[in-house]
Amino acid sequence: MSSHQPAAAALGSGPECAISAQEGLFAGYELGAAYDEMIGGLRSGEPVPRPHYQPLHERLLQTSPEDFRRRKAMTDLSMRQDGVGFTVYRAEEGIERVWPMDPVPRIIPAAEWRQIEAGLTQRINALNLFLWDVYHEQHILRDGVVPAGLVLQGAFFRREFVGVNVPRRIYIHICGTDLIRAADGEYLVLEDNARTPSGVSYMLQNRQVIKRVFPSLFNDYDVLPNDDYPAALLDVLQYIAPQSVSQPTAVLLSPGMYNSAYFEHSFLAQRMGIELVEGRDLLVDGNRVFMRTTRGRQRVDVIYRRIDDDFLDPLTFRADSALGVPGLVNAYRAGTVALANSIGTGIADDKGIYPFVPDMIRYYLKQEPLLNNVETFRPEIPAHRSHVLENLEKLVVKRVNESGGYGMLVGPASTKQQREEFHRMIAANPRDFIAQPTIQLSTHPTFVDGRLEGRHLDLRPFVLCGERVTVTPGGLTRVALPKGSLVVNSSQGGGSKDTWILADKPSASPRNE
Amino acid sequence: MLSRVADALFWMSRYLERADHVARAVDVTFQLDLDLHGVLANPVELEWNALLSLLRQPPPQIRDGEHPVGAVQRWLLLDMSNPGSVMSCVNRSRNNARSIRGSISPPMWRELNKLYWRLSDAGLPARVADSPHDFCEETQIGVLLFHGVCEATVMHDEGWHFIQLGRHLERAEKVLRTLDSKFGLLERSEAADLPINNLQWGAVLKKCAAYEAYQRLYISRVEPERVVEFLLTNADFPHSVRFCLARIMQSLTEISGRLPDRCDDDVVRTVGRLLNDLVYLEDATFDGERLHAFLGNALSRCARIGNLLQQQYALQ
Repeated sequence: MSSHQPAAAALGSGPECAISAQEGLFAGYELGAAYDEMIGGLRSGEPVPRPHYQPLHERLLQTSPEDFRRRKAMTDLSMRQDGVGFTVYRAEEGIERVWPMDPVPRIIPAAEWRQIEAGLTQRINALNLFLWDVYHEQHILRDGVVPAGLVLQGAFFRREFVGVNVPRRIYIHICGTDLIRAADGEYLVLEDNARTPSGVSYMLQNRQVIKRVFPSLFNDYDVLPNDDYPAALLDVLQYIAPQSVSQPTAVLLSPGMYNSAYFEHSFLAQRMGIELVEGRDLLVDGNRVFMRTTRGRQRVDVIYRRIDDDFLDPLTFRADSALGVPGLVNAYRAGTVALANSIGTGIADDKGIYPFVPDMIRYYLKQEPLLNNVETFRPEIPAHRSHVLENLEKLVVKRVNESGGYGMLVGPASTKQQREEFHRMIAANPRDFIAQPTIQLSTHPTFVDGRLEGRHLDLRPFVLCGERVTVTPGGLTRVALPKGSLVVNSSQGGGSKDTWILADKPSASPRNE
Repeated sequence: MLSRVADALFWMSRYLERADHVARAVDVTFQLDLDLHGVLANPVELEWNALLSLLRQPPPQIRDGEHPVGAVQRWLLLDMSNPGSVMSCVNRSRNNARSIRGSISPPMWRELNKLYWRLSDAGLPARVADSPHDFCEETQIGVLLFHGVCEATVMHDEGWHFIQLGRHLERAEKVLRTLDSKFGLLERSEAADLPINNLQWGAVLKKCAAYEAYQRLYISRVEPERVVEFLLTNADFPHSVRFCLARIMQSLTEISGRLPDRCDDDVVRTVGRLLNDLVYLEDATFDGERLHAFLGNALSRCARIGNLLQQQYALQ
């Protein structure tokens, strides 16, 4: 943190404006049971910010709601003009929607970030060791640390890949781990997204937009840039290329423009300078992968695929897939092409396996986990089952093999009918569910209806694993916009925030003078 | 480059050029309609029907309480059920761009996306009933901005040349059609019709964004024969058919990486012959019937160029 000066002039929110607490952005700010990221408590009814938020808080106090509303509108316009959208299914055929960004940034101090970074690095290393193990010798299953049945009969375990040697022994190259903060402020891992995690383009885009519409916010802080992510990702892709190729050609394989994450696919391809391809652009001939170009075929060495295993190759997985490339899996097996992420990583981030990740860390790394899991009940265990069935209204129940916030029961917000339905389903198939206590995700001041209100949020940092593990400073902060909602998924009415990781050392000279 | 990308670039550009042309034609017809209003018996029907047939569009369904001219304007500018309307063309151009966002520069996408949103925001379409001018102007400016950004922010490599192909092929075709729609006027020009002829041939020039350029070159009344000559054979004006074909030839040779006289494929041959015909055109071509035959032939050759392009570069 560097110089901290009165902010009114820089914000242009009117001459010498003294905005009274009653009409300011924080008017009536309420604290709930959750940990609030910015506000540590109330002193005689006035919100008191935590130390690292103090300069931002001060600036916001000096900002009139009208000025803020204008900047929020600029944010929305900017997002729309850049076409930063995603496609929502279900309603009609699929509509373009812009993902709303809240202009109040989320700030994480350097020391906290170091801890997160170390915890995530430890976790991805353990998950990669686990995947190599279960697809080869299966020590961890034989030693009974993870129940063999849970892995071998898991929907995402790819029997076809047992014994296959993946390049550099890395299965998960790109991981987007979801972190939440409990009421005491502890960061907990909610889930590991180790298949085709998305959201990194929003992380990058949010930073660009906030620099455009609210540059003065940066004056008081030394924020670590997050812009290196595409370059770091390209390094990873080149690192895993077949070693006989000196100048590997990497491509990004997308399901196409109707996919909800298409914006991200084109964004990343462009930033890396690689071709964005669809299944129909590729062909496999003699176990080698080519793309169809205006000058004939061109060899492809590495594929960053944003298509799920199931749709990757109609010859191996789902035969009805029109998105994939026939023969791709055999080419991969033959080692002529590399895939990121590898096939079969879904068994590592399955909700059924999740409770065992801390044990994996102890087993493979001989370390204690630096980031804890959320306490998780497995109805498969009789003692857990009765606890879950008796406490449905207090628990969050998640279906194993599902993602994106679909197929979930949020106990406190559920109806009796929904609870009865889950009761029935859990009793019938206990193995298909896990349950967790309802964590009051931390809250953060968020612009709603002309003022700031606390809204729940999580954090998805992005971890890359190639020659080394890289955690990009920042991440995607997703915020649940409806009051009291704990579901942050973009498909369920969530928004996002720019996430600032502060530099370690205060800068030598104050800026902006 | 990927064949699919080349295809999308071509059509992104071609649809955008089409939107530009339709918008300009509607705007010019609207102005002409105002000028001719008191002069001719039934100019409204004449001019708007001529425009529909020039764009090869059926007459639109007239909604309850809708003015027939308003219906034509709505149909040509806004109606999404008409694949040839400006909105449809901009939408299709944008969808092509979206499908290859990784292959065009972010400012290009941004300009195209902004154009789409400006045109679909309620205010502008609502004003069309009153005057289509703002809508048409916004379209033309958006297209120009897009091409300006395109000129300055991407490499002028193979992909850029596919953009040029789409643009110039569409433009050549639209100029040929515009001329063809007026060849009948060449037959019957009497002294008394002069001011009206002037207006109508002036409108032809304006539809091809060529009015001022023509005035500058000829410094005279708008003479039909000169208009035809200018729009067909001028070497330096961007909306002349010859200019467009020369650009197409240039892009084709850049894409194939060979000298023009070493290109032996069907596309280059077809383009080259048509270009030669225009360069060495005989004056006699310019009487009504022969002109009509020439234009019809040129149009079918343009269609053939489009088909051959698809085959040659596997544009699906």
